[in-house]
Amino acid sequence: MRSNRLTTLVLLLPWIITFVVFWLFPLLFSLITGFTDYSLISRNPAEWIGLENYKELLTDQDFIISIKNTFIFVFGTVPITTVIALIMAVLVNQRFKGRGIFRAGYFLPSITSMVVISLIFTNLYSRGGYIAGLASMLGFTPPEHGFLYDSSTALFSIMAMDIWMSVGYYMLIFLSGLKSIPSELYEAARIQGAGNIRQFFLITLPLLKPVALFILVINTIKSFQVFVEIFVMTQGKFETASMVYFIYETGVTTAFRFGYASAAAYILFAIIGIFSLTQFILMRRRHPLW
Amino acid sequence: MVTDRIKKIAHYVILFLILGIMAFPLLWMFRVSLMPTGSLQSFVELWQGSYTLKNYSDLFTTSSMGRYLFNSSFVALIVTTGNVLFCFMVAYALARYRTIANKILFVTVIIVLMIPAHILIVPLYVLMLKAKMYDTYWALILPWLVNPIGIFLLKQYIENVPSTMEDAARVDGAGEYRIIMTIVMPLCKPALAVVAIQIFFTNWNLFLFPFILTSSESLRTLPVALAHFQGQQAIDWQHLMAGSAIAVIPVLIIFIILQKRIVSGITAGAIKQ
Amino acid sequence: MKYILTILFVLMAITSWAETTIELWQFWTDPAIKPTIQNIIDDFEKANPDIKVNLTDLTWANGHEKIVLAFSSGTGPDVVELGSDWIAQFGANGHLADISKYISEDSASFQGWGMANYKNKIYGFPWILGTRVIFGNKDLLKQTQFGEDYIPISFDDLKNSSYKIQKISDNIYGWGSNTAEKHRLYKKYLPFFWTYGAQIFSDDGKYCVLPSLPAVEAMTYYKFLHDSCGYVANQRGIEDAFLDGKIGYIISGDWLLKRIELENRDINFFTTLFPGRKFPGKSFMGGEFLSINDASDNKDEALKLIRFITSPENQIKFCKANRSANPSSINAQEDEYFKSNVHLQTFIKQINLSKNPPVIPDWVYIENIIERAVEDVLFNDALPGESLREARSKIDKLRK
Repeated sequence: MRSNRLTTLVLLLPWIITFVVFWLFPLLFSLITGFTDYSLISRNPAEWIGLENYKELLTDQDFIISIKNTFIFVFGTVPITTVIALIMAVLVNQRFKGRGIFRAGYFLPSITSMVVISLIFTNLYSRGGYIAGLASMLGFTPPEHGFLYDSSTALFSIMAMDIWMSVGYYMLIFLSGLKSIPSELYEAARIQGAGNIRQFFLITLPLLKPVALFILVINTIKSFQVFVEIFVMTQGKFETASMVYFIYETGVTTAFRFGYASAAAYILFAIIGIFSLTQFILMRRRHPLW
Repeated sequence: MVTDRIKKIAHYVILFLILGIMAFPLLWMFRVSLMPTGSLQSFVELWQGSYTLKNYSDLFTTSSMGRYLFNSSFVALIVTTGNVLFCFMVAYALARYRTIANKILFVTVIIVLMIPAHILIVPLYVLMLKAKMYDTYWALILPWLVNPIGIFLLKQYIENVPSTMEDAARVDGAGEYRIIMTIVMPLCKPALAVVAIQIFFTNWNLFLFPFILTSSESLRTLPVALAHFQGQQAIDWQHLMAGSAIAVIPVLIIFIILQKRIVSGITAGAIKQ
Repeated sequence: MKYILTILFVLMAITSWAETTIELWQFWTDPAIKPTIQNIIDDFEKANPDIKVNLTDLTWANGHEKIVLAFSSGTGPDVVELGSDWIAQFGANGHLADISKYISEDSASFQGWGMANYKNKIYGFPWILGTRVIFGNKDLLKQTQFGEDYIPISFDDLKNSSYKIQKISDNIYGWGSNTAEKHRLYKKYLPFFWTYGAQIFSDDGKYCVLPSLPAVEAMTYYKFLHDSCGYVANQRGIEDAFLDGKIGYIISGDWLLKRIELENRDINFFTTLFPGRKFPGKSFMGGEFLSINDASDNKDEALKLIRFITSPENQIKFCKANRSANPSSINAQEDEYFKSNVHLQTFIKQINLSKNPPVIPDWVYIENIIERAVEDVLFNDALPGESLREARSKIDKLRK
């Protein structure tokens, strides 16, 4: 039994070290900083100011807008991404010629660098770009100065790009879920006379629930941290600034108020924590094995 | 049978439509990267304009594109290897030895999964500085060697692998490490492949931390280098897209090679159940 | 023979022992200019075998951040290139060495000291300055009543000719107008603001006087250009469109000359000084400075390096490679290279008629506030007076 314990320790060691050094320490460091006026540019030692940062944040219009934008982003992209990914997974799960090519094609954007994607779409979304051309072909009037330079379209354009980019990845996860459904179930259903659509709702969907919930959790956490695309495409202008962008901007650019930014980071942390915990609880209830 | 045919055609139409939407932006990038410098305005030019590799050669001759490529590959490969090994070790321990301490540790994995990594920019910077690892390869590698997502995925997977074979091996007197490496690990190949591909591409595309934790040009990875290009006033879309294409091509190649493995891995996992 | 070898070894040991390393951080990473920088550094090392220079590149995207982080953790370089907006911030926090004592001999032969002067201390050595001028498209003017050789002198000239160009066709615009873009948009408004006679702070620097009649007039004027004949995009987008012959006038810097030359663009353009009620108007001025870390142990060597980099010969070398129009060295400005080029002359003339933003540590925040005010007027149709007043109250709150 003793050797077993030692084995466990050895096996867990990589995580213990990573957790303590690269997560726990920085987290505590910034937790403490959140209660100080620590600014990177000042030579004066940081002073303990209690809850001042948090109080100020709750009245900071920029911060409140960044929360709003982040929520729009998360609740706009996550459900749509999940549904489209599922549809795509079902479409490429069947047997047909060239299946591999379609899967690869759909998956490819999600493994492309976000910096690259953002650069490409900056051009496509611009005035006279292909997406504006497509919009006017379909009878819409594209924003005069381009999609990214208009408060009413900028955030939604970035969201659309984000959905475009990530559906392939979640499709692949759904696909692995689809593969794990025993084919006997479908055969049994077919024998009982259930059609494709009935099979989907009776067998596929219920059995994919754990996969779908896993996707929801991962994607929610990821989406709450949206940053790079905003950094590259709009620099937070035109009502696109997300919470992480706010943290970046107050913490390590112009203002360099690291104490303030740390407090904002902890609020984001709390929000993500609440959402993920809720999802986990739902998951447990519906799928006790998880 | 005619309806079957129509269904089949409709299926393909939808598939191609989606493929078009998914592929166009990347095709556009490749096309523009091959255009001679100058205006990008006309739609026709995309199909009829001329082709040139000059933008690519410009990047290799006038910037350290080769170095950026090396940095990205080197770092991503090491991080991926580390993750496959370490995440598997940890996941195995968490899935099989269910002590209280392990349960607590799994909770830490979950918590870390929920932490917005971006809040760690400055504490990590300070840490790297104090440890004299700022602006070295260590800063690009060490923090990412054990990714909680990898642990999470692998733990779920291992829990679904029946332990009968391990028990049999244990009865035969095989050592723990041998059992883990020679029996369990091969069984987990599909999941390991998923983890490896995910970690590799995540790391290959990582932007913010390499951007902050290094300063030398010789340590720039491709995304960081691209952000630097973009900051330049005088670079045109053609060169920018050539640089972008260079960041995408290796991913493309590796993906084509690994894709079959992933799909067959998933299939293998399905058959076992 | 053995003897000589020994001496050689001893000498080598001594020289390597006495070698000082200077950390230099700089922003010029563009392939067109990087080799020249390296070249100048190599020359310096050759001339000073006891000093080794360690060159690190920064970018506009994250350079500022890196400098701050490095200074705050005590690992700043010996010499750092700083944009003029940042000098006061770093200087006031004690990160930069005051070089006012050492530069009395240089002060007359370089331009731009004012931008490095905070509370009568000089925190940086001017290197390459920059200003913005008006670029105009002659071919488009030709299609209006104004004709190819027209040059707008007054604000009305600019407005009317922009408007006429706008009317040429659907795809042609009168004026290149910046979208909300950090650090760029307010620099387009300030020239009008200053030329109309407005000021950000009172002369003694105590009060913010941002909302004033001339400030509102300037904003209203700028908004008119933006709304009635503006091609709105980011700076690169505006320049792309200008080079494609779609815009009448844009404000741009010397980098556009470089682009036109390097990309071999076929465009019939002219450059001219800012218009104004009294021609010429004031433009926006900024510059790149070389500053010494206050914590550096090698300040003398650092100053030596700075003098070398900013020497007239090296500035000319730099400007030729980078097509920069505004060397800080007055001797360099007299060079035939600048004299012979009409566009470079516009830049050299304009910089003497330009203003720089106030040199105060809080400028980086104030800049942001002013930029927001301009954004609000241009993109959210806020009233100029109101948004300027709002900006002033934010500035007052910040300075309290």
